[in-house]
Amino acid sequence: MTDTRTHATASAAPREVRVAVIGSGFAGLATGITLRRRGETDFVLLERAGDVGGTWRDNTYPGAACDVQSHLYSYSFAPNPDWPRAYSEQPEIQAYLQATADRFGVRGHCVFGAEVTDARWDDAARRWEVRTTAGDFRAQVLVSAAGALADPTYPDIPGLESFEGTVMHSARWDSSHDVSGEQVAVIGTGASAVQIVPAIQPKVESIAVYQRTPPWVVPRTDHPVKPWARRLYRLVPGVQRAVRGALYALREFLVIGMAKRRAFLRPVGRLARTHLHRQVRDPRLRAALTPDYTIGCKRILISNDYYPALCAPNAELVTAGIAEIRPRSIVTRDGVERPTDTLVLATGFHVTDLPIAERIRGRDGRSLAEVWAGGMVSNRSTTVAGFPNLFLLVGPNVGVGHTSMVYMIESQVAYVDDALRTMAAEGLAALETTPQAQEAYRELIARKSQGTVWLGGGCASWYLDEHGHNTTLWPDFTFRFRRLTRSLDRENYVGVPAGAPARTEEAA
Amino acid sequence: MTGTLPRTVRRRTAAVPTSDGARLHANAEGSEQAPVTVVLAHGWTLSQAAWDDVAALLAGPVADGALRLVRYDQRGHGRSTWPDPPPGTPVSIDRLGEDLADVLDRLVPTGPVVLGGHSMGGMTIMCLAAARPELFGDRVRGVALVSTSAGDLASDPRSAGGRMARIRPGVLTAALAGAALVERLRGLVPPEHPRHRTMVRDLLYGADATDEMVLEGARIMHASTVRSFVEFLPALGDHDKRAQLDALTRVPVEVFVGDSDKLTPERHSARLAEALPGARLHRVERTGHMLPQERPRLVADGLLRLVAAAGGRDLA
Repeated sequence: MTDTRTHATASAAPREVRVAVIGSGFAGLATGITLRRRGETDFVLLERAGDVGGTWRDNTYPGAACDVQSHLYSYSFAPNPDWPRAYSEQPEIQAYLQATADRFGVRGHCVFGAEVTDARWDDAARRWEVRTTAGDFRAQVLVSAAGALADPTYPDIPGLESFEGTVMHSARWDSSHDVSGEQVAVIGTGASAVQIVPAIQPKVESIAVYQRTPPWVVPRTDHPVKPWARRLYRLVPGVQRAVRGALYALREFLVIGMAKRRAFLRPVGRLARTHLHRQVRDPRLRAALTPDYTIGCKRILISNDYYPALCAPNAELVTAGIAEIRPRSIVTRDGVERPTDTLVLATGFHVTDLPIAERIRGRDGRSLAEVWAGGMVSNRSTTVAGFPNLFLLVGPNVGVGHTSMVYMIESQVAYVDDALRTMAAEGLAALETTPQAQEAYRELIARKSQGTVWLGGGCASWYLDEHGHNTTLWPDFTFRFRRLTRSLDRENYVGVPAGAPARTEEAA
Repeated sequence: MTGTLPRTVRRRTAAVPTSDGARLHANAEGSEQAPVTVVLAHGWTLSQAAWDDVAALLAGPVADGALRLVRYDQRGHGRSTWPDPPPGTPVSIDRLGEDLADVLDRLVPTGPVVLGGHSMGGMTIMCLAAARPELFGDRVRGVALVSTSAGDLASDPRSAGGRMARIRPGVLTAALAGAALVERLRGLVPPEHPRHRTMVRDLLYGADATDEMVLEGARIMHASTVRSFVEFLPALGDHDKRAQLDALTRVPVEVFVGDSDKLTPERHSARLAEALPGARLHRVERTGHMLPQERPRLVADGLLRLVAAAGGRDLA
């Protein structure tokens, strides 16, 4: 195949491809691999960075690791018998993604340095016109696998821009900056902070963790995978599949508590409370770390070393709330000023306001963000009315906090695969879901979300949008999502046969 | 400066490494340009939180830049660690004196200092005075000794200290070996339990102590480890600096004791006042061993007098 990189920089005319995929993380690579497997070679993966991996390429902060066991947090079609630990760290997961991209011949389809700046549906040509920082593309089908944990959010704190020390977002860690011996501030106590704090606490002069709401933390049952177990997984792949299945089933039980009957969460809450009591002796610190909302409302974090790091002699948990940031210090609302050399923003991502949504424009010229101004809507989390031949991966209502995101991604990719097969079989130039299907799906999500811990657990989380609606999480068992996306719900789509005249009647 | 909060107090948290490999959790509040630094050492099975009420009364002068306040957790207490690897010798109060020197070297390397010590913290200061007499008069310009003793704690069989001293070493070793079990048993009677509070009140507090005070103190002590109890108990019995108080005669000293103190009864403070002719002795009625909590105003005023004498502003 042609060298995509030279092509991208040299040409003025847009490059024609059948499928353009935005992103090369878990979702983008899964799409590429699936396309390759059905013999499709006319596709590109548009990657803004210089390597595959997505979230796992970007989040290189100290201690970065996955909260789901690797046997489960990996592709079903690419088991890795050599995971060194039960829960892998970022370098291992990134190496797995790189190796998998190479193994399935997807890397050659990647156009690196290609940040999508604009994607418009040309209804006359029935093509997506995609502009990127590495040249323009025309694609029949556009798959956005840009992800939900892709674009960091920065807090709106007075004086942040005046800070003269080092500022790093957790997802944009500068490994050339050594924090040893520094006075470090960490803002945020989410999944990233819980991993960063214990990783840097032993080497910094002091660490102040600025907390708004404490997370619930449960023990991490991490352990190295024994060499004999690795050999066994290699020789008898069925064993690893069985372990994967058992882990999946076990985690699915959490859904009963979070989405069905909250009483089932009580033992999990007790486990977290015991964990806190065992690891934190100081009654005041313990009180400050005890959440006032139901466990599961925010993402449950797993760590054995977060609490001990906060109890370390050089650590301090600050709950007073930040009033302002000064060039060399942080001032809290109680008037205390803490000298600070490095500021770590573990403040999360744009999840309910995906930046990619501003760059994709549908049939009537409106962007996804505009269409979604009242909240993200979709059919089966994957397609949006008015956006023909567009498929969203890791978009609305597909997130999970209790199990592997890869399971959801594979479900969605199978759905996209079936849609492409249907288009080929029926000779369709365009496929678009209906507003009715979208409305029905929105109602389904709303109904399933009722009474869940995310809406009724007494917390504000990144799962809910500004209207208080659940637009990010799949609020049911994940196997139900898989069933829903096993094959294309053809009745919910309008197909335009190739060669048909432009749909002037629908534009009227 | 954006100026939304005109009066701010600088606060620094530090882990002070000791010469034998422990790390002491210390907090310094106030401007580093303040004319005097007050360093407070807490008592056995307590933590720097035991000084909270006194610290709250000093907050104004701290915010004004009149003094800087340093508090720290003694080794094995609060967030401070034990030495790693463990030394071959058992812990002594002399070692705590060296720890205090380490805190001074690290956090208050220059300028006048006023030291305050409660109970074992007071003994810590006496040990520092015995080991580093040159500091007193030069760097250390005033000392507050609260509910403490220069030695001979175990001789009176009727006192609480005397009774504790008769606990056989075997019992202590067993308690340490079964620390997890002892912790479990302690958990059965938490500070909120009425019996727990009655016990704490009877042993440590005077007649005027409020229930909130007792609960707060009980919580601080409940957070301490079995190991800190067991390892320091013999060290307290061995503490004897009655013949090595000379350095303390060179600086103003304020001695505080409650008339209902059962752990370090009045006579210990009376003897201190005898040995330190310039010292000012405050005997406080209806007050027990937890004097900094029970009479914080008295202690804070004493510290402020010492600060003024040490070359600071007169704030008392």
